[in-house]
Amino acid sequence: MTPIIRIENLHYTYQHEGRAVQALRGIDLTIEQGEYVVLLGHNGSGKSTLAKHLNALLTPTQGDVWINGWNTKDRSHLRDIRSMVGIVFQQPDNQIVATIVEEDVAFGPENLGIERQEIQRRVDWSLERVDMLPFRHRAPHLLSGGQKQRVCIAGALAMQPAVLVLDEATAMLDPLGRKEVLEVARRLNKEQGVTIVAVTHFMREAIEADRVIVLHEGRIAMQDSPRALFQQRDRLRALGLDVPHVSELAQALHRRFPFFPSDLLTPAEIAEAVVACCDGSGGSPKSRREGKSKEKEARSEWVGAMDGFPSPAPFSSPLLSLRHVAHYYMRSTPLEVKAIEDINIEVHRGEIVGIIGHTGSGKSTAIQHFNGLLKAHEGEVLVLGQNLADPAVDLRAVRRAVGLVFQMPEAQLFEQYVGDDIAYGPRKQGLSPEEVRARVRRAMEAVGLPFEEFKDRITFTLSGGQMRRVAIAGVLALEPQVLVLDEPTAGLDPQTRRQLMRHILDLHGQGVTLVIISHNMDELAEICDRIYVVAEGRTVMAGTPAEIFSSAAALRAIGLDTPDMTQVAEALKAHQLLPENASIYTLEQAEAAIAHLLMERGAIPAETLANKQTE
Amino acid sequence: MSEFEYLRNVTVGQYIPTQSIVHRLDPRTKLLAALFIALSATSTRSALATLLLVGLLMGVTKLARIEVRYVLRGLLPAAPFIVVLMLMQLLFQGRFSVCETVYVEWWFVRLTPCLIELVILGALRLVIFLFLVSLLTLTTTASHVMHGIETLLAPLQRIGLPVHEFALANIIALRFIPTIAEEMERIAKAQASRGGDFGGEPWWRPDRMARARLPLIVPLFVNTLRRAEELIVAMEARCYLGRKGRTKFVDLHFTGLDWLVIGLSVLLWVVIWWTPWPTFT
Repeated sequence: MTPIIRIENLHYTYQHEGRAVQALRGIDLTIEQGEYVVLLGHNGSGKSTLAKHLNALLTPTQGDVWINGWNTKDRSHLRDIRSMVGIVFQQPDNQIVATIVEEDVAFGPENLGIERQEIQRRVDWSLERVDMLPFRHRAPHLLSGGQKQRVCIAGALAMQPAVLVLDEATAMLDPLGRKEVLEVARRLNKEQGVTIVAVTHFMREAIEADRVIVLHEGRIAMQDSPRALFQQRDRLRALGLDVPHVSELAQALHRRFPFFPSDLLTPAEIAEAVVACCDGSGGSPKSRREGKSKEKEARSEWVGAMDGFPSPAPFSSPLLSLRHVAHYYMRSTPLEVKAIEDINIEVHRGEIVGIIGHTGSGKSTAIQHFNGLLKAHEGEVLVLGQNLADPAVDLRAVRRAVGLVFQMPEAQLFEQYVGDDIAYGPRKQGLSPEEVRARVRRAMEAVGLPFEEFKDRITFTLSGGQMRRVAIAGVLALEPQVLVLDEPTAGLDPQTRRQLMRHILDLHGQGVTLVIISHNMDELAEICDRIYVVAEGRTVMAGTPAEIFSSAAALRAIGLDTPDMTQVAEALKAHQLLPENASIYTLEQAEAAIAHLLMERGAIPAETLANKQTE
Repeated sequence: MSEFEYLRNVTVGQYIPTQSIVHRLDPRTKLLAALFIALSATSTRSALATLLLVGLLMGVTKLARIEVRYVLRGLLPAAPFIVVLMLMQLLFQGRFSVCETVYVEWWFVRLTPCLIELVILGALRLVIFLFLVSLLTLTTTASHVMHGIETLLAPLQRIGLPVHEFALANIIALRFIPTIAEEMERIAKAQASRGGDFGGEPWWRPDRMARARLPLIVPLFVNTLRRAEELIVAMEARCYLGRKGRTKFVDLHFTGLDWLVIGLSVLLWVVIWWTPWPTFT
């Protein structure tokens, strides 16, 4: 059988500002019909360029790409190739052409000149495959990100492709949307035999694949099954990538207990490995009972780890507080919608507060009350002791005290030079040129952009991660007491994400109070003092990460993700290995808890063994 | 009321699905009816007849189960233009008035009953046109409007007019209005969070007004161009290679009701045209 995709010695070079950039430097790759392949690589590794070669959107500078035996350089097969390989891009908004879902799905078949009845049949079939049939008459802008992206997939499916390329199609989605899209991709692969090529930098998504290919500087750096690939943590790190948390946990445990398998990928596998170990080393009822009493100790150990966090001072008055806040969009029009209806949030000085909730839950609306961008229609907003409903409050002063960084803030840059853009706020404030300069310098250095090196760089030539840091510096230049960040790391690759989080935490070290909205539960679990959960316009939960993540079932019920380690703990609880109320949400906690479990079942850590041998 | 909700007061281009009988008409019917009502409005010089047309439109609005108040509020942004137009007519049109009676005469300004009728007529006609457009878009999805136009104008394709391209470009434009309005709102909020404010510059310094808005306009343009580029790639990926060899998915067809509505609107035009309405001229 001929492979559906065959690439030989593919080179691709393009011109950027007068320089030749070698995006791909000799790719050899064969993909068989029905495979599920994931392409990993940090930003600029060439993975999206490669994806665009798969349906002749780009053609090789050197080398060849064959799709089902057709060479992509042969333009007479353009329609065949493009209907054979459907591609879905990152931004659903920029791929939808029609104002009605079913008309958009019909766009591809219309272009292929297919008859109306057949188009109708294909539209129905494709929308059915992605579970969007009930939304066929909707306007796309009223759908969620995940729904829009599923419409885009349906649009590709309607051309009946043999291959579906997902070019970072999940990068802009929340966890729920990501899950929806991946579920659809998996089903298409298993049930319809569609070949999937998914480009991503979410390591978790690679677990699903038959084969993972890592690109680095335009070459294939690694290629293996996910299980084998994620064993090579250091190599992946060097390529700017991460290892899924579960693999990391397995490897950490493997280092301490050599018998513990290091190639585990899912929470369930971890739990099974622990069970297997326990059964092997005397899971008698007696030792089980002993185990129970020790679990208590173990639990106090993990709870003890929590005490390191500064808890909010209960008597100090909060810097920010929203009390029973409600807000409506399109108020007093037939299209009025209640965006939030009962939001209660308090932020104290020096805290890191996390807000979680899926897209459309109202969390973005809620934070816009913090600096008076939106006014509460019901309830009360207090900022630094002032009630924002009072017309005498100087909103500009409030906005300087509470810096608000929007999602994708790099989309708001406007000045040609980095320094000027950051200086916008301080200049508007009417500060002296010296003070403006000093503030721009401090703000830039706070986000890791050396002042002299970057102040005269052209804004729009920076990388995505750098532009985001410039945008954050633009808010920091106001020297706010509270910094509110909406999805600060969304869409960044793992390395850039880590760097940015480090800078944000440094700010906290310098006394800035932080409020962070994020879908990345692992990130929040690590850093927050307290977390609020918003669902359907209400704050439904509030507490320390330990409290919030111990109710994993409640979080899932409102469509939220839980940290990977919470899922590991749940899997262990399902085997009665952990008490129901044990709260685990970081890698260290999970490692400590499992090590404890293994040792009480008689496992001996490697270092003890080593010590014994030397004795 | 929020200073950042840009979409709120624009009723033109918004669709309100009430599933009324007006909504269910074929878009071509609504376009043709709108055309004949507009023709009627321009083919009479009687304020009375024009007022009757306004009444008719209000009736249709009721029939479409949409509040008249809501449609009228959408016309508010056009009010300054209407007022300016009325003032211009009032000041400069008097000299050409054919009426014998003159209420006031001062320098070049001449106020006559004919002039007053003309001014009212002009304003009412504008209101009717805007009302028609609002009503059309409130009861018809934008894509249906475009499909209607595309089908009605299809014969012009043969003489080389790019009807399909025009329709597609318009559908895409309509598709992006809410997206770009949202984006505009987000940019304005972000700049306000950085201490920016828009407004407050004196109106006699349009240069300063423009410069103050650069922080809104530059990112909006940059992002829109990026969107356009990505959209082109996405369309190409879905085999769009121009009009050649394309088929159409949307199927429009007339019912008896459609023919009735078209017949009635032609009749309306003829009646308005032939009736000797009382006027001053």
